[in-house]
Amino acid sequence: MSEATELAHAASSTDPETGLRAVAALRRLLESLEALQVQNARDHHWSWQDIATALGVSKQAVHKKHAGPRRRIGRAK
Amino acid sequence: MFKRFTSGAREVVKRAQAEARDLGHGWIGTEHLLLGLLGEGEGIAARALRAAGITARVVRDEIERLVEPLISGPDADALRAIGIDVEHVRARIEESFGPGALERARLGGCRRGPSRAFIPFSCRSKKVLELSLREALRLRHNYIGTEHILLALLREGQGLAAQILVRSGVRADDLRRAVLAALGKVA
Repeated sequence: MSEATELAHAASSTDPETGLRAVAALRRLLESLEALQVQNARDHHWSWQDIATALGVSKQAVHKKHAGPRRRIGRAK
Repeated sequence: MFKRFTSGAREVVKRAQAEARDLGHGWIGTEHLLLGLLGEGEGIAARALRAAGITARVVRDEIERLVEPLISGPDADALRAIGIDVEHVRARIEESFGPGALERARLGGCRRGPSRAFIPFSCRSKKVLELSLREALRLRHNYIGTEHILLALLREGQGLAAQILVRSGVRADDLRRAVLAALGKVA
């Protein structure tokens, strides 16, 4: 690692701006991944209970967060 | 759904899909339908849009401004600083779930069941395509042309396409009147 990259690396790892931005971005990435994986599990006929258990949250929580729009679409059809 | 679509209207949908893919978006939104209408080039809709001063260039610029990326360049840099290569993550996810899968998941999409082979329509653009049938019926046409898709876009009124038109100084009522005039109908 060159001195310049090393310096940049050291600076970025303690810079609150960078650190907080990483957290915010990671949260968005996480939300997106969760939606994708829950959808995939539903496509594979997993129950809400099984999904909740795998995610370590309550069935109510996962259902409330991910079941809404699908049901609305279902009714609209 | 596309049974009564004219070849021009089918071309619009095909182009909308290509535009979404080229922009790396995981959905076909009203904004892509608008690009499809412009790209089709010859239909009543394309001519009305051109006459109103709307070009594909303008629309693309607005899309870039209005659609925030899930992870921006600086976001990716910040993640790299804590050891996460977001492009690597994205590549692995898209390997399994298709291009734009992360963005699509954020948007919620408008799909039921797996559909990895093609880019799905957003709820709004699905609504627009449904409304285009209604616009055709209202005009007593037995086909759905590009003009009905444009009228439906204007009627839906909430999507990114409608926002882009407003931001470009186009009044929905004026455009609607122009389309109807081109059809020889009194607005």
